[in-house]
Amino acid sequence: MEKTDVKKKKGPVRDFFCTLGADLREIGTTWSEGDGKTKLSFLFFGIGPIMRGRRLLGVTFLVVEAALIAFIAGFGWQYFSKLGTLGTVETNASSRVTTYGDNSFLILLFGLLTLCAFFALIFIWRLNVRENRREELLLKAGKHLPSSKSDFESLFDSNFDKTLLALPVIGIFVFTVLPIIFMICVAFTNYDANHQAPSKLFTWVGFENFANLFSFGTDGFGSTFATVLIWTLVWAFFATFLCYFLGIAVAMLINKKGIRFKKFWRTILVMTIAVPQFVSLLYVAKLFAADGLINGTLLRLGWIKEALPFWTDPMWARITIIVVNIWIGIPYLMLIATGLLMNIPEDLYESARIDGASPWQMFRSITLPYMLFVTGPFLLTQFTGNLNNFNVIYLLNQGNPKSMGLVGGAGGTDLLVTWLYKMTINDTNYRMAAVIGIMVFIVTAVTSLVVYNFLPSVKDEEGFQ
Amino acid sequence: MKEKRSSMKRKRLIGNIFSYILLILISLIWLFPFVGLVLNSFRSYKPGVEYGGMVDYLVPKTFSLDSYRFLFSGENNYVQWYLNTIIIAIFTAVLQTMIVLCVSYALSRMRFKGRTLLMRFWLILGMFPGFLTMICLYFLLKQMGLTQAGAIPGLILVYVASSGMGYYVCKGYFDTIPKALDEAARIDGASRARVFLTMTIPMSKPIIIYTALVAFMAPWCDYVFASYIAFGHDSSYNVAVAMQRWVWTGDYQGYFTRFCAGGVLVAIPITILFMLLQNYYVEGVTGGAVKG
Amino acid sequence: MKKRLLSVLLAGAMAVSMLTGCGGKKGGEIKIWVADNVVDFTKTQAEQFLASSDDYKGWTVLVEAVGEGDAAGNMITDVTAGADIYGFAQDQIARLVSAGALVEVEASNAAKVQSANAAGVVNAAKVGDKLYAYPMTADNGYFLYYDKSVVKDPSTLEGIIADCEAAGKNFYMDLGGWYATAFFFGTGCTLTYDTDNDGNFTACNIDYDSDKGLAALKALVQMASSPSFVQGSSAGDAVNYGAIVDGTWDAGTIKEVLGDNYACAKLPTFTVDGQTYQMSGFNGCKLLGVKPQEDADKLAVCDALADYLTSESVQLARYEAVGWGPSNIAAQNSDAVKADPALSALAEQFAYTIPQGNYPGDYWTLAESLRDSIVGGEYKGADDATLKAALASFQSSCQSYAK
Repeated sequence: MEKTDVKKKKGPVRDFFCTLGADLREIGTTWSEGDGKTKLSFLFFGIGPIMRGRRLLGVTFLVVEAALIAFIAGFGWQYFSKLGTLGTVETNASSRVTTYGDNSFLILLFGLLTLCAFFALIFIWRLNVRENRREELLLKAGKHLPSSKSDFESLFDSNFDKTLLALPVIGIFVFTVLPIIFMICVAFTNYDANHQAPSKLFTWVGFENFANLFSFGTDGFGSTFATVLIWTLVWAFFATFLCYFLGIAVAMLINKKGIRFKKFWRTILVMTIAVPQFVSLLYVAKLFAADGLINGTLLRLGWIKEALPFWTDPMWARITIIVVNIWIGIPYLMLIATGLLMNIPEDLYESARIDGASPWQMFRSITLPYMLFVTGPFLLTQFTGNLNNFNVIYLLNQGNPKSMGLVGGAGGTDLLVTWLYKMTINDTNYRMAAVIGIMVFIVTAVTSLVVYNFLPSVKDEEGFQ
Repeated sequence: MKEKRSSMKRKRLIGNIFSYILLILISLIWLFPFVGLVLNSFRSYKPGVEYGGMVDYLVPKTFSLDSYRFLFSGENNYVQWYLNTIIIAIFTAVLQTMIVLCVSYALSRMRFKGRTLLMRFWLILGMFPGFLTMICLYFLLKQMGLTQAGAIPGLILVYVASSGMGYYVCKGYFDTIPKALDEAARIDGASRARVFLTMTIPMSKPIIIYTALVAFMAPWCDYVFASYIAFGHDSSYNVAVAMQRWVWTGDYQGYFTRFCAGGVLVAIPITILFMLLQNYYVEGVTGGAVKG
Repeated sequence: MKKRLLSVLLAGAMAVSMLTGCGGKKGGEIKIWVADNVVDFTKTQAEQFLASSDDYKGWTVLVEAVGEGDAAGNMITDVTAGADIYGFAQDQIARLVSAGALVEVEASNAAKVQSANAAGVVNAAKVGDKLYAYPMTADNGYFLYYDKSVVKDPSTLEGIIADCEAAGKNFYMDLGGWYATAFFFGTGCTLTYDTDNDGNFTACNIDYDSDKGLAALKALVQMASSPSFVQGSSAGDAVNYGAIVDGTWDAGTIKEVLGDNYACAKLPTFTVDGQTYQMSGFNGCKLLGVKPQEDADKLAVCDALADYLTSESVQLARYEAVGWGPSNIAAQNSDAVKADPALSALAEQFAYTIPQGNYPGDYWTLAESLRDSIVGGEYKGADDATLKAALASFQSSCQSYAK
């Protein structure tokens, strides 16, 4: 993680407006001081560079402009223009043959995409203006402009970052940024089972869904949300730290002097990582069922009279899930800890031993602080990862057992994400799912921020070096 | 003195015996589900021989290969599902590794405007839960014809498109390669691209293998997204989507042993691959953990 | 420039459509979703039908295995990518209509459907007063399967459970929204919803919050407290059972497990506070629906195909192939169907059940919550007041789904 520049942090808003002001001023001077080529470039991007002999750059500008305008005019505008209402033409199903009306979903999606295209157009325009200014200044100073060939070559040298990042950035934009913006918008609409595109329209409803989330009446989501949120945090805490400490313990056990076949023991544990979870977890889920192998065996041995309610009692289910998660988590942690334990200088232990320290003391004052220091950021990512640990919960018991005390189909072991998933899949309640998704983001972001500032490796740079 | 030593020896011996017992216990617990899976897969589902649903005993009464035979009998598309998953996994592994390498190199070696902004922005993006955008991605892909029948390229596209955000481990590795090497080569006239292709990449074998291995393993487990993209089109399912029906859907009674058999066949190649490349995996995971 | 590009594209598209050999305007692919075990059956039947007349030349079918449980959800997620004809359980019909995934049955077919099927079944295919689907089976109900060597007398619930406990066997019954009504309706409660023609729920008729409801809930809690009781009605997941409440679709599996001890009966009676009630429940059917189409030709073919796939002869053939009980009255009266032990137990049970109407999706989710609360032991040893409070909250939630 990068260290933040302290100076830059002060007054980001003021900073922004300063930059904006400076930008506008520069555009102004570019226009007033610019020659005909530059002025023409304000409308037709890249004309300036083309006329100055930088064909590659100029043509690229021109092509991008043409493509964006063609996209907006030819495709995007029809959606963008309806973004305010999300469509008004209802589907006609009065005769037996159906004529579909406006599709609110596509209007929202492509409307946003068009909006982004507008921003891209402005951004490219700005780059284009700046490029013109730069060229003019260079020429004025009597310098040569780079040729198309050297422009091209720079893409593999000084501008290599642009070449490398172009595809990933576009990919992330289309498949991550745009969908996230879309779903944030959905949180402000009534898109649910009763307003399902393409047969029905949906529209903007403001903060209604958020109000519902925080309403504590019988049908409100308030108390259910609180229950699920608390369990999510409790789960993430136990899942992270139990696995962490037990993983270290197992690693130390295997590392212990005098234990042979170290590689063999490790390999057995590591196998659980290799076997796909949808196979192993579904099987484990069946093992713990009321009529599963574990209950069956215990009953037959006469140790219990009744099947243990591993999945049916909320408290049992929570504990079972945490325990099964230990089974999943220990191998990872064992691997990591094994590598790190070897890095601890042996002489630290040696001198502690001479001072007559017990193994427990050595663990507490050498091993543990070292591990915590080194793996701090990792623990944080583990924690946030566990907040969103879908597979374990869903494959084991789908977030069940449900309860009369919880609304929205939530169950006793549902995390926010599994609840979100069930709302999307079972109830097509996209509006509430979007709201929950935003909440997940807030929870993750806040936890990360808070924990990050408490990490020893951030607070104490020198620490163990 | 002698006595003390022997008592210490005995203490250590007892400690070791204890440790061995513990280790054997742990191994049993960790191996049990797999043993169970394998044993179940050898139980016949054929009426008259044995029963293919859930039973309350572990060891089948008669060992048979019926469940495995079923997978290849042509009564279902198991071979197709398997191939689909392999294709997705291979393409994802190759393309994702390329993207991650590119992003990591750019962020580790180049200093450009907006670099920290980009990294922080991606960090924030990563805090949104992935399922949130499922429906949106579905319709995006549908516009491109990459759902249902086209689900396989569609899935590859989605897996690869956002993989740039997972650059942390790889960038951390690049950061440890001394910059002086780069500088020296550049003084000799090599371009950035040349340095990247002929120096950095050859030096990054462990991290490349780690990235590819992780990317290769992920599609085997993806049930959620794959089922959402491919629904209603049996021949473009992956193994997870196709086989979970045998456990979860009421239409498939007594398919449990066949599920186990299918699961074993999925687990075998991945486990072998994983065992072979274990050291690289450990290196990547440990490096990633320390770097954060 | 743009026009020219368009014309080139159009020409290309035409060339492609001609190459694929649709031979003129008509033709295309009809996508059908049915449960896995009838995929081959449906494919053969549909192809036979399309080959039977020149009117259907150029049309082909693609049959995919999408179970009745998943079909509705998938259709609602994306109607346009969904199947043209699909099978689903009747409880999904209102949801499908309101999501625009079902088109009204064509008038002449509607008349045929109404005369060939029992009134209850026809009602199940209706939303408001419009017929939206073709009945395919009428075996969507549950009854008792038991092991003759374990359960001596299958007529009382208490007796069955005692026998299972004594033999160390399990007794399986799902307590979800579909099965739990066996108790609630058994004590005389009602729970129905009224819908308008668009599939919106307008009113809820419920009296669970009453002494009758209390008796039913008590019986449920009492049953769930038995060490033999296991939640679930899916024979494939059940082990070591002496008795299981399940439907005809699992008959084969159970027969295989129980062998010579296989037996079926109507549901037993249960006793609460000294009063005995007969277990009731839903009777329902599986339906075949046609998706709204923009192309009149395709719609006509789909109508005809759906009608054929639910006709008397195909229903009988389907019974013979996979054992699904027909909804067609004439098919029900055939000798083969009448001799089937599972179907006759079901028919006996149907005398005590009510035809399943339309229920909102939220009801099923809510009922699962009640189920998990009962099975999880939340109400174990609870006093009447607690149970009443649970029923009151259940009832008010049910009512809140109708607006």
